[in-house]
Amino acid sequence: MTRSELDMKPVLSVEGLRVVFDTPDGDRTILQDVAFELRPNEILGIVGETGAGKSVLARAIIDLLPEGGRRVGGTVEIMGRQLERMDEGERRQVRGGQVALIGTNAKALLDPVERVGNQIVRVLRSHRKLSRKDAWAKAVKLLGDVGIVNPAERARAYPHELSGGMAQRVVIAMALITEPKVLLADDATLGLDATVSVQVLDMLVERSRELGLSVVLITHDLGIIAHYCNRVAIMRQGRIVEMRDVTGFLAKPGTPYSQELLDAAKARPVPSIRATASEGQPLLEVSNLLKIFAGSRPGEEVRAVDGVSFSVRRGETLALVGESGSGKTTIGQCLVRLLDASGGAIRFDGRDITTMPEAEFRPLRRRIQMVFQEPYVALNPRWKVMRLVDEPLRMLEKASAAERLRRVHRALDLVNLPTSHAELYPHELTAGEQKRVGIARALVTEPDFIVFDEPTTALDIRVRAQIIDLVRDLQSRMRLSALFITHDLNSVRSLAHDVAVMNRGRIVEAGPLEDVFASPKDPYTVKLLSAELAVEHEAEARHVHIPQPKEAMI
Amino acid sequence: MLAAFRSRWDSLPRALQIVLGRLALVIPQMFGVLLVTFFLIRLLPGDPAILLLGNMATPDAVAQLRDRLGLNDSVWTQFVSYVGNVLHGDLGVSIFTSNPVTVDLMERAPATLELIFYAMILTVVIGVVIAVVSVVRAGGPVDVASRIYGLAAGAIPDFWIGLLLIYFFFTLLGWAAAPFGRIDAMMSPPPYVTGFLTIDSLVAGDLETFWSAVGRLLLPVLTIAIVNAGALMKMTQSIFAGVWRSDFVRHARACGVPERVIIRAALRNSLPPIITMIGFLVGFLLGAAVLVETIFSWGGLGQYAVQAVMNSDYPALQGFILVASAFILVVYLVVDILYELVDPRIRV
Repeated sequence: MTRSELDMKPVLSVEGLRVVFDTPDGDRTILQDVAFELRPNEILGIVGETGAGKSVLARAIIDLLPEGGRRVGGTVEIMGRQLERMDEGERRQVRGGQVALIGTNAKALLDPVERVGNQIVRVLRSHRKLSRKDAWAKAVKLLGDVGIVNPAERARAYPHELSGGMAQRVVIAMALITEPKVLLADDATLGLDATVSVQVLDMLVERSRELGLSVVLITHDLGIIAHYCNRVAIMRQGRIVEMRDVTGFLAKPGTPYSQELLDAAKARPVPSIRATASEGQPLLEVSNLLKIFAGSRPGEEVRAVDGVSFSVRRGETLALVGESGSGKTTIGQCLVRLLDASGGAIRFDGRDITTMPEAEFRPLRRRIQMVFQEPYVALNPRWKVMRLVDEPLRMLEKASAAERLRRVHRALDLVNLPTSHAELYPHELTAGEQKRVGIARALVTEPDFIVFDEPTTALDIRVRAQIIDLVRDLQSRMRLSALFITHDLNSVRSLAHDVAVMNRGRIVEAGPLEDVFASPKDPYTVKLLSAELAVEHEAEARHVHIPQPKEAMI
Repeated sequence: MLAAFRSRWDSLPRALQIVLGRLALVIPQMFGVLLVTFFLIRLLPGDPAILLLGNMATPDAVAQLRDRLGLNDSVWTQFVSYVGNVLHGDLGVSIFTSNPVTVDLMERAPATLELIFYAMILTVVIGVVIAVVSVVRAGGPVDVASRIYGLAAGAIPDFWIGLLLIYFFFTLLGWAAAPFGRIDAMMSPPPYVTGFLTIDSLVAGDLETFWSAVGRLLLPVLTIAIVNAGALMKMTQSIFAGVWRSDFVRHARACGVPERVIIRAALRNSLPPIITMIGFLVGFLLGAAVLVETIFSWGGLGQYAVQAVMNSDYPALQGFILVASAFILVVYLVVDILYELVDPRIRV
């Protein structure tokens, strides 16, 4: 950073900000003594776990706190003017005019019954006096600039006709159309595929640089921070615990908490102990698997899984990676026969399970279990953990109540949950605990093979690392074979022996993890890998020497 | 052939697809209505001829009437001739008024429709405005008042409101016109164009009649609106409140879009269920406005239908059911079309 830049006045400065929320038990402090400055052209990353107060901070800056929240102290100064001294009309002009907010889940942020072009026009005309026609022309041009192909036509589309990535670009266009000074991106690419997310972020940063904007990137992904930001602020329990330049942070975080976050964000070393019994028959062998869904029009068909073959040996883990819609989850569901394959064979322990009658397959279900993607949705909200974990036992095995209780407790023990949790309901658990219950439910029948469907997505950094450690532990202790469905390459590095890359229902590349990741051959694999913002690589790119984290216990 | 039709159909604008698609359904639906009204009379226990002539009829007269009504023919021949008559506008002769049913209905249907038309406009204005204000200014005086009104509106009978309004505004204050019919008894109605006195008098350029008709409409319209706006308000409130809390409204606010623009956008998102509710209310009022019509001596369809039932006037009843069904069919047609037009997510 040059001398002259440091001298420039900050575009946004927050001083001693304190926000409380009304709760039935009195006020709860959400933000405490938050202070930072945002300089022109700077990209500041704010990182923290769920509940750290990141989103509340973004909303406090534009004075739109969620219901029940109020600011009880501190000041927010935008372009040298204090927010609390402005009247309501001026504050409205600041929102979207000088400080624009980009939120998560773009599809929900767009008016479902209005053309997206009109929504951009609506924002522009709220801030500038402009004819509808001129505003429309500007909106179309900007849609082209944010990377939407054929913008004149897409501007006439409704939000439900757009993909998630396109909707996010539209939301970004809504933010940029007024040429604001500050951009607040609150987990803007959460839930998007890695390749799309990188494209969107690249575009966002590039545009901001062009327009001379300052950006606050709020995220829980340290890779994003490492790749895009100048400075980083670590938030915990409503406070900024550390704030410094990113290079320095990557080299040596200043607090134990930051260190913990950084370690958790890195991949664990590859589980190298490959099963000794690699020779012999594979436990699971899939050949030419085909799954066809009926299209939206009669006669149309969608080949969700198109001639896929792979095999998994005992004690080994295969990771199936690819973007959403590539058919990964469909394969997983075919393996446990939640979906019937349209063709091909799935041989488990030498027997083809695709043609097997349900009555014959039922006993095999004990040996093949699945951990579902969204733990909360997959758990019956009216059942206690005890009954949830017990369910497969009751269905599949004849055991006495005492025996079942013993095994439920053992399963909970395996996933590091205290047995007292057996008496809780799903909503009383954290997201990480819900995932653990989902895993315990799969483990309770002592299966040979488990399908993990996206076990680490949408989890906080530290929780994700804990789940990864848990699965690694189970792999080595129980000699479990697993199919690991994910788009999180970081967790693949930590968990899988082999990897298969899927694109549009086909496997484009497969092989041992080290080979595929070190020298990818298929262009799609290259694209997928380049979209990954791994903290290690970013640190290398910044010429930071990182001391390796201590070998994780196995 | 089919594929060619398909591709041509797909190239039509969405709005046209919706309207054409729905209109094509009207023909079979109308046929169904005819079938039902026809068999309604056939399904009555006993001989329609005896019912029509009464218990004192001589066997000769009965035989004669049976012959005249075509009751000796096969059911299908009868149905065909019935459909033919209806298509020619012949609904038979009312036993009670001795007029052709068509003439009676032509006179009375517009009375009721005019009443419902203005009542619905007022209902929608009252219901939607109160609902929107009570959500946007939650906890304010309108919000509190809307809660009291919402409670009361469900419990107050329409005839009572009607009587109260007459008592206060006609008897005590003398502001409102007398509750006797659609215009002043001393005036002659304007030439028949639409049957709506307010419109016909304007067409004829007769302002005096126009104001008289408006004056007479005031109290009954108010009565119906007060009773029915409560339900519409409650429903609009809950739907609009849901939209008002949604992410896209919050995002629009974060983009600095003014409140009135946001309100308009949120209201547009709440429209589909509101349209359905309005359609339902219109269909319901066609027959349910009868008490209000009676109190204000309106001479509308509801009164006519009740009279027909009391007097076992089967041709009149049959005619009423036919007209009412056709009307409700049209209302639901409009509702369906509007519903699909306001929500682009519905696939045509």
